[in-house]
Amino acid sequence: MGTKLKLSGADMLMHALHDEGVELIFGYPGGAALHIYDAIFRQDKIEHILVRHEQGATHAADGYARSTGKPGVVLVTSGPGATNAITGIATAFMDSIPMVVISGQVASHLIGTDAFQETDMIGISRPVVKHSYCVFDANEIPKIVKEAFHVATSGRPGPVVIDIPKDMTAPDNLFEYEYPKKANIRSYNPPVEPDENQIERAVTELLNAKRPVIYAGGGAIASNAEEELFRLNEILDAPVTNTLMGLGIYPATHHRFLGMLGMHGTYQANMAMHNADLIIAIGARFDDRITNNPSKFSPGAKVIHLDVDHSSVSKIIEANIAVFGQVKNSLSAMIKLLETKLDQYNKDTLQPWHDQIQNWKSSHGLNYELYKNESDENPILPQAVVQHVYNITEGKAYVTSDVGQHQMFAAQYYHFDEPRKWINSGSMGTMGFGLPAAMGVKFAFPNEEVLCITGEGSIQMCIQELSTCLQYNLPIKIININNEALGMVKQWQDMNYGGRHSQSTYQNSLPDFVKLAESYGHVGIKVEKNSELKSALEKAFSMKDRLVFVDVYVDPAEHVYPMLIANNSLEDMWLSKDKKT
Amino acid sequence: MIKRKLTLIMENKPGALVRVVGLFHQRGYNIESLHVDPVDDFTPYKFIEEQLETKFKENEISRLTIQTLVSDSLMRQILRQLNKLIDVIAVSNEETTYLKGVLLDENLL
Ligand SMILES: Cc1ncc(C[n+]2csc(CCOP(=O)(O)OP(=O)(O)O)c2C)c(N)n1
Ligand SMILES: [Mg+2]
Repeated sequence: MGTKLKLSGADMLMHALHDEGVELIFGYPGGAALHIYDAIFRQDKIEHILVRHEQGATHAADGYARSTGKPGVVLVTSGPGATNAITGIATAFMDSIPMVVISGQVASHLIGTDAFQETDMIGISRPVVKHSYCVFDANEIPKIVKEAFHVATSGRPGPVVIDIPKDMTAPDNLFEYEYPKKANIRSYNPPVEPDENQIERAVTELLNAKRPVIYAGGGAIASNAEEELFRLNEILDAPVTNTLMGLGIYPATHHRFLGMLGMHGTYQANMAMHNADLIIAIGARFDDRITNNPSKFSPGAKVIHLDVDHSSVSKIIEANIAVFGQVKNSLSAMIKLLETKLDQYNKDTLQPWHDQIQNWKSSHGLNYELYKNESDENPILPQAVVQHVYNITEGKAYVTSDVGQHQMFAAQYYHFDEPRKWINSGSMGTMGFGLPAAMGVKFAFPNEEVLCITGEGSIQMCIQELSTCLQYNLPIKIININNEALGMVKQWQDMNYGGRHSQSTYQNSLPDFVKLAESYGHVGIKVEKNSELKSALEKAFSMKDRLVFVDVYVDPAEHVYPMLIANNSLEDMWLSKDKKT
Repeated sequence: MIKRKLTLIMENKPGALVRVVGLFHQRGYNIESLHVDPVDDFTPYKFIEEQLETKFKENEISRLTIQTLVSDSLMRQILRQLNKLIDVIAVSNEETTYLKGVLLDENLL
């Protein structure tokens, strides 16, 4: 015996993270975390990325997690370090993103004494984590790390906080280190395989539907179900819509794809959902941005709901058939059964439904190739910026976004054919997410094109990360759709508050973004005319090894449409400033 | 709205009670009364031990009862939300018991 390593708590933490497969940590040091930072210095297996603000660390870890499917890891100090991380933890929580956040805490004997930089991190984070741990016995560090990663990544994923009082990581206290092979939490076992009865009932409905719609969301991406979804629809040939969180799980360029649904969804997606006779919800949770008024939602549809989270089913819209399990497994089970019943299914029965949808699409579908007729007499349209970016990157880039009109234009006009390429804060709607998230993606995929479609409001919320991008040489492309306003707020004020733009413009106080990018050591390009747009974007994307900040001045009066009319059904939409359905 | 009684068996861990109470607050459910006891007789919970392939030890679990005023439709949602808390082992109302994702048809707690 005697072969076991003897390590300090801080060294055990680093060993445990390495044994868990962690390659990157995003973080920011401070007093309570200094033992851990010293352990980081003395090892070379895990790279630590020094951000400029703890919010940036959480979003970067989040972008890494969304793009790779692996958990993102964050390390912050106590007090302000911990509280700065909260927005990013909440963002990951609301979108069910796997993340492990390690926070330093004041030494155990100081807890509860209002010590310097003491905050109750477990308490503050409690409503926005899947679970949390405070280390009371350094011996337990390996077990807690193992459990934290298991909880963060299994079932419905989410962030887990590990709060570590400083004395738990002290260098002189050594412990025998052994990393557990398995996490064993008796009170936690999320469902994996679906119930066969429910699968049978679901398949019977699938075979008989005349107007089915597949409605897939972020849960389908979390479950890596793209192949199963594609195969299911090779059989069914049904129209497919995705939520904002689900974009990419079904190829956007597929002829059965309806586009995104909901608040700013396409006309055909919302109309199809409203008029469906069967909705197959896959890892989607009937969020209020999807249903509009739940009592008027899709009156004639039966609902099959596949989800790993019991509490998401029949929460807003009652499911006729609930299928609990990993949606990947549930889809496989459905496919397997369907394949034995192919003689009972005839795709042609859906033809009238497809014709109806085609009619909707041709009457009020999104306007494609908007940029084609633009002259310099007209301002640049934000949609056209996204369309150019889509064309230049051939639809293959990782696209992160912030929150506002630019985000909706990106979701509508960049067509994602693969999952995990569209990275945005859907449920929380966190301005400031885009740039740090892009950093996380770029660390994971250094050879892929990574771009951030942002607005001049949002980008300023985490702009300091431009410095991190220089330190680690991250050649991200930032496309700033600059409408010189908090555009989405202004749009609501135009539509609901008689055009009173209360606190949504900046009175000529915006920075010169070109100089700002340059002062951070990057390249800045300003675009004001339609005739310059394409070539400026091409130039930006040709600079492979530089971060380029493209500041595009667009029409400040533009609104995002379609837009659901509040408290109504999915059929009720504004289609333009003066036209309703 | 009717008065309903919920019973929970949960891990006796720091923070477990706060998570339950916090969930009620966060989701806007009300609490009329609340009572916690350590469990020292495990005989009524043999079925849990069997189902979860575990053995309870002294001071490991506690039993929580909550009276709440809710509508029927909310009742199921509360049970499911409580069942999702990692430290909660089982939760029941007068008619059903959730044992970590498994729905049993009667109140066994
Ligand atoms: C942190 C945060 N604060 C406030 C909001 C509310 N909000 C939503 S969109 C928006 C305006 C965003 O402006 P900008 O980034 O310029 O995007 P635009 O709508 O102009 O494209 C605001 C303030 C938010 N989503 N996040
Ligand atoms: Mg703006």
